[in-house]
Amino acid sequence: MGEMVRKASTEEIVNHWILAISCILLIITGYAFLFQLKQVGAVFGGFNGMKVVHNWAGVVFIVSLLATLFHYLHESLTFDADDWAWIKMGGGYLSRSAKKTPPMGKLNPGQKLYYLAILAAGIAIAVSGFAIWLLPSTRPVTLASHLVHNLAFILFVVAIPTHAYLGTLANPGTFRIMVYGTVPIEWARKKYPKWMKEIGKM
Amino acid sequence: MQNPPDISATAFNIIRFSEVPSETNAVRWLFVSRRCMHCDDAGCMKICPAPGALYKTAEGAVAFNKDKCIGCKLCVAGCPFDVPRYDAQNKIGKCDLCAGRIAEGMSPACTKTCPTGALKFGNRDELIAGAKQAGYGKVYGELDLGGLGTIYAFKDAPKLYGMNESPAIPESVIFWHNVLKPLALIGLGGAVAGALIHYAVIGPHKDEEVK
Repeated sequence: MGEMVRKASTEEIVNHWILAISCILLIITGYAFLFQLKQVGAVFGGFNGMKVVHNWAGVVFIVSLLATLFHYLHESLTFDADDWAWIKMGGGYLSRSAKKTPPMGKLNPGQKLYYLAILAAGIAIAVSGFAIWLLPSTRPVTLASHLVHNLAFILFVVAIPTHAYLGTLANPGTFRIMVYGTVPIEWARKKYPKWMKEIGKM
Repeated sequence: MQNPPDISATAFNIIRFSEVPSETNAVRWLFVSRRCMHCDDAGCMKICPAPGALYKTAEGAVAFNKDKCIGCKLCVAGCPFDVPRYDAQNKIGKCDLCAGRIAEGMSPACTKTCPTGALKFGNRDELIAGAKQAGYGKVYGELDLGGLGTIYAFKDAPKLYGMNESPAIPESVIFWHNVLKPLALIGLGGAVAGALIHYAVIGPHKDEEVK
């Protein structure tokens, strides 16, 4: 494979797995609560057990999500002219033929917008979840929390499968970043020329 | 003072009195049996995430199973009448129309002990017909929320008895049930289908070869 370049640190990889597993567990148990899926509840020894799993997976999720602030926030808040051009052409995802995409930094704008959306929805779903879990039931607060929790849930069930697809099948060679954290240097030069320039490897 | 002051996880039914102004008497007291209204379209059941925690009996009463209750208290917010209460173990407790007694062929304890016939248990249609025959133009709960299981023949405006004139399930709960729940399925299905279609039609991302 030749020379490799490190895209994700061990800490980032471990935290992303914690985030991914807690998130998927929350989505599965979330659907089970939403549609009263008894078979799913039985896996957790009933709905009381599933509630404990859902609540504490939520704690793990929000701690892990807040840890990502140190990993992806700074990069996700910077958009340059190339990013806007990338957004205008849909990142080249809407064409069958190879399209010349603008040179990218470490993250492309799709990834940046995805991160910001997950961060916002993640904080909203966690805060509303804690409100339902821990606050005494007061009608307006509980109803508002219930609504926010479910609105954010919809964003998650659309965004997470899309994110998983884009990180695997849609972009061969990407998934290894989540496992090893490294990519071949030639590949990285093609995908993230501006970032490679930044770290002096172009 | 009213005592007990309100329904609780163990006080399923209280007689609430309201002191209202009167032209003919120094005081006028109106009494109402405050308890679960056993809605046909019950907000508590709609919002409850735990199967079997709240259920309908054969007679149409909204009953509960403490073992199945997960203590989330969403039913408190979903109830149009502020009825569900929680015990010290964080489990629901409310009037279940004495489901256990009815199952044994007995009438609910409240109607059994009521000495004047102010509380009656029986066929809903017959009770409504009886009230109308007795001259009550409107029966409270006849049509609300799909028809309430607890109905009142009030001599005066329901609000004087402390009852909501037009009870309804909170709009956010209806919106969640009718819009957000289907959207949660359509969203997931759409994302998965979209990915599959994208993979089949457009295929994996291709970068222009770097020369």
